[in-house]
Amino acid sequence: MSALSNTTTPGVAAEACAPDLSAIARPPQVLNNRGPLWVTDAVCSIVEGKTPLWWYAAISVSGAFAAMGGACILYMIVTGVGVWGSNSPCFWAWDITNFIFWVSMAHAGSLISALLFLTRQKWSLSISRAAEAMTVFAIICAGVYPAIHIGRVWFVWFLFPVPNSYGMWPNFSSPLLWDVFAVTSYLTVSSLFWFAGMVPDLAVLRDRATTKMRKFAYGIVSLGWLGTARQWRHYEMMYVLLAGITSVLVVTVTTIVASDCATSVVPGWRATIFPFYFMVGAVYSGSAAILTLLIPLRLIYPQLKELITPSQLDKVCKLLLMMGSCVAYVYVFELFNAWYSANPFERGAFWERFTSANAWYAITCLSINLTVPQLFWFKAVRRCLPVVFVLAILCNVGMWFERFMIVTTTLMRDFLPSSWGNFYPTIVDILTATGTLGIFFTLFLLFIRFVPIMSMNELKAALPGTQPAHSTDDHSTGEGH
Amino acid sequence: MSHHLPVAGSKDEALYAIGSRFDTPDQLIAAVTRLRAEGYSSYECFTPYPIHGLPEVMRLPKSVLSFLVLGGGVSAILIALSMELIPSTLIYPLIVDGKPLNLSALPQYIPIVVALTLMISAITAVTGMILLGGMPRWNNPMFAWKLFSKEASRGFFLTVEARDKKFNTASVTELLHTLGATDLIAIHEEAEEAESTGEVSK
Repeated sequence: MSALSNTTTPGVAAEACAPDLSAIARPPQVLNNRGPLWVTDAVCSIVEGKTPLWWYAAISVSGAFAAMGGACILYMIVTGVGVWGSNSPCFWAWDITNFIFWVSMAHAGSLISALLFLTRQKWSLSISRAAEAMTVFAIICAGVYPAIHIGRVWFVWFLFPVPNSYGMWPNFSSPLLWDVFAVTSYLTVSSLFWFAGMVPDLAVLRDRATTKMRKFAYGIVSLGWLGTARQWRHYEMMYVLLAGITSVLVVTVTTIVASDCATSVVPGWRATIFPFYFMVGAVYSGSAAILTLLIPLRLIYPQLKELITPSQLDKVCKLLLMMGSCVAYVYVFELFNAWYSANPFERGAFWERFTSANAWYAITCLSINLTVPQLFWFKAVRRCLPVVFVLAILCNVGMWFERFMIVTTTLMRDFLPSSWGNFYPTIVDILTATGTLGIFFTLFLLFIRFVPIMSMNELKAALPGTQPAHSTDDHSTGEGH
Repeated sequence: MSHHLPVAGSKDEALYAIGSRFDTPDQLIAAVTRLRAEGYSSYECFTPYPIHGLPEVMRLPKSVLSFLVLGGGVSAILIALSMELIPSTLIYPLIVDGKPLNLSALPQYIPIVVALTLMISAITAVTGMILLGGMPRWNNPMFAWKLFSKEASRGFFLTVEARDKKFNTASVTELLHTLGATDLIAIHEEAEEAESTGEVSK
């Protein structure tokens, strides 16, 4: 605990004896005292090296899944939503489940990069770029569903306030419409945050480019960045502003997505805890997703082991533990509230959730999400990366079941037993969902191969000894040297 | 004196600046302090990452970006509110379940206002950063300096521009030398033809 949060005041530091100081010192940002030149080479070498064989193999597999997903979507559009298993009473099923699953996963990426930047948590510097990329790609996967699930996708413009002669106008009091604006904003803002943060690093790739083609491509995307003092001045201001905007936006988007359910009258959905429920679940699943992506990446590129340190992954595990515990709290609170409300429909919804033939969804969800994150209390578990990797995947499986439990099993049982029903996914449902996984991994593989996966300029600026000795005299008591 | 310096860009074009390189941020800050003391004003520093204290030494004003973003955000609030309220209450009232549409129903319009405000603020922030930083710019006399292109991610570079009123090649060269600069070079503007044919100069 002490290593996580303590800071020393210079006065105390001078008095204290040496062993105490080392016990509370912050873990190094980059291991083995590597300098800024090494950081540049290590990060750029991933992009500049020869394309490895595993990359071709991986992108063929993920590309095939993505193409399959695309084919399913095309089939669905030309045939109709009947090719999905969604039917009365479950008009929302895998489509909205997967939408919420993906958009939630995105949230942790924004929080890790934006909120931890604002709170000056420097440990997150080396993972923030990958986290932002995960955010953007997860929103793209989420964005697959809302447009196509309306059935007649060519009428999607009805969602937007476009003046027209049909007398069509959106109903601004509907949370579903808020959703349209929230997700559009979220995709725009997180893409901008990701791209704008990358411009100086793309300029580094431009300068280091050896072929004309690369020079041209990176020249275009780096916008003519030169790293002048004026550019850095505006850039730093922009970064703080965007981090603030993104942090607020994340909370707004989750709340709005949660309102899709919470503002209805369906028992099991109508609960004021839903925004909080979705928020903690989002950060929980996103932290797990980050671990799932970073741990193999460290294995493949050994130089990253010094940049993504065990101590940083340990902190992500702690974040996962905290959010997992919040999720557990919400599960218990939900059940308590159903009982305490004395509302027969509310009680019935939860009773059916755990006793009907579909109980296995809820039981899988609870048995994973109540137990797996709690294993992260143990340092031995957090430090054993293969175990962390497996547990992180399990957490996301648990979260998928949670989203399914919230969206679909709730709809199976409502007020009238005569309208009860079940949901069975079709092959198109399953292939579309695996297709979004394919899209996600394809985009992530392209990201690894073509852009710097870490913010080199932020890392270098934070390394010891890279700042002038006399800068910020008031609080950097010799930290740089 | 200029003929003693190596030349980047095309020799026949006008001189753009004298370029130099420093090894540490401390040297760069000392150099800027001295340049200012000598009365130079058109100079520029190029660093691989933001250097604490450099903008203060250069007397750069606080970035106006925050005000631009405030403006963008406030206009977004107004745009979003008018987009929602004017058609929904005045032009084309869409009454669902007899629910009110007037100001007592204001909360239902807020989520979209928030989302649009954040989106337009973010777009303003990024566009503002790009334009205030003099981007996008596809060509720059600095690109002709091979060492700069190669080492921009490592070194700390300083140029004193020829448009400076005090500019004099000989005295600038000497001053930079005494400040410990290395790799001094005369950077010239690029020839017009090279730009029009899209050719990369050397």
